[in-house]
Amino acid sequence: MTIHHHPPEELLVAFAAGLLDLGQHVAVATHLVGCPHCRDAGRTMEHVGGAVLTDLPPTAMSSGALASVEAQLGRLVPPTALPPRRAAGLADIPGLPPFVREYAAGPWRWIAPKVHLRPIELPVASPTRVFLLRSRPGTKMIEHTHTGFEMSCVLSGSFVHAGGHFGPGDFDFGDGTDDHEIMIDSAEDCVCLIAMQGDLKLNGMIGRLLQPLIRM
Amino acid sequence: MVKETPNGVTSDAARWAALIEAVATRGDREAFATLFEHFAPRIKTFMRRSGVSEQSADELAQEALLAVWSKARLFDPGSVGATAWIFTIARNLRIDVLRREKRAGREYTVEIDPEFHVDEGPQPDASLAASQLESRVRNALAHLSGDQLRVIELSFFDEQAHAEIAQTLQIPLGTVKSRMRLAMNRLRGLLGDLS
Repeated sequence: MTIHHHPPEELLVAFAAGLLDLGQHVAVATHLVGCPHCRDAGRTMEHVGGAVLTDLPPTAMSSGALASVEAQLGRLVPPTALPPRRAAGLADIPGLPPFVREYAAGPWRWIAPKVHLRPIELPVASPTRVFLLRSRPGTKMIEHTHTGFEMSCVLSGSFVHAGGHFGPGDFDFGDGTDDHEIMIDSAEDCVCLIAMQGDLKLNGMIGRLLQPLIRM
Repeated sequence: MVKETPNGVTSDAARWAALIEAVATRGDREAFATLFEHFAPRIKTFMRRSGVSEQSADELAQEALLAVWSKARLFDPGSVGATAWIFTIARNLRIDVLRREKRAGREYTVEIDPEFHVDEGPQPDASLAASQLESRVRNALAHLSGDQLRVIELSFFDEQAHAEIAQTLQIPLGTVKSRMRLAMNRLRGLLGDLS
């Protein structure tokens, strides 16, 4: 898999710093599955994090903190492997990080001609929603802008828009300013993982008609 | 931040790694105490800057060091530097504590560690040995100015901390973000040059 589109660097830094909400985290992690280059960048940032941590000015610990921790050391049970979690219905989707495959997911549901959506249920509340979007070959997506941001990571198939061609592993970051007109150009279905904040604003007559129905 | 020579860097990093390994292999309490004395007060600062109260920050720093003890055997010095490994423990604990606040009362917990395992293999990509990566990062940071280091630090804290730093550096908050970007570009350039 050759990846041409990567998350902006700020996102990779925030990922390594642990500052993304879970929905955003899932989108970036999905890109990292197929992108050794960005995994290396994230790993480098963790080392920057280590350097930052060790250079922070110390704050005195409460008196007796070390003694209190030492008293607990003997009692610590080494961590045992957790029992495998209930496998959810995402095991058959290629390209998802292992931890996401264990999440629960709703059923595929029709949202527009040739387009189905499958919500992913995050185990903790997140301001960012995550779902899979499956589009048939040749689908021309309704032109839309969004009120928040949208991150798309291609799992299979491909699409093209003014920003370029996006295949498996590619990451598309929309901050709400672009007008997307997306064409699915692969011979097979295009499945993307999408993390989204805010609402879609569909442009055009059909979009306005569908808007109340879709609630993406 | 302290600027160190490349030699000092290597021996320092190797020293932390050796201490963690002593904990892992022999349950060495003296080694643990040395790690505690250095890292607990800094993890406490890390938590304080993340908006955690004095008391919670103290408890979290203790919790982090307990995790260092119990996870020491999982530490692989070939693939991750010692300070980076301890950073990820503190980072994941911070994620957990922010979630604890949000779920208020709900009982379940979610393991954070698997959320950072994105590839199939048991080992992270070790295309570059941890010791090389660690000294490369150190060398790059040593080339930055004091102000640039402060804003690189900021990348590891949320926007609340940015406002405080903006105040101490006496620059407008809007400028902080652009400085963060500039410093990060410079760092990336340095990391590239040193590769």
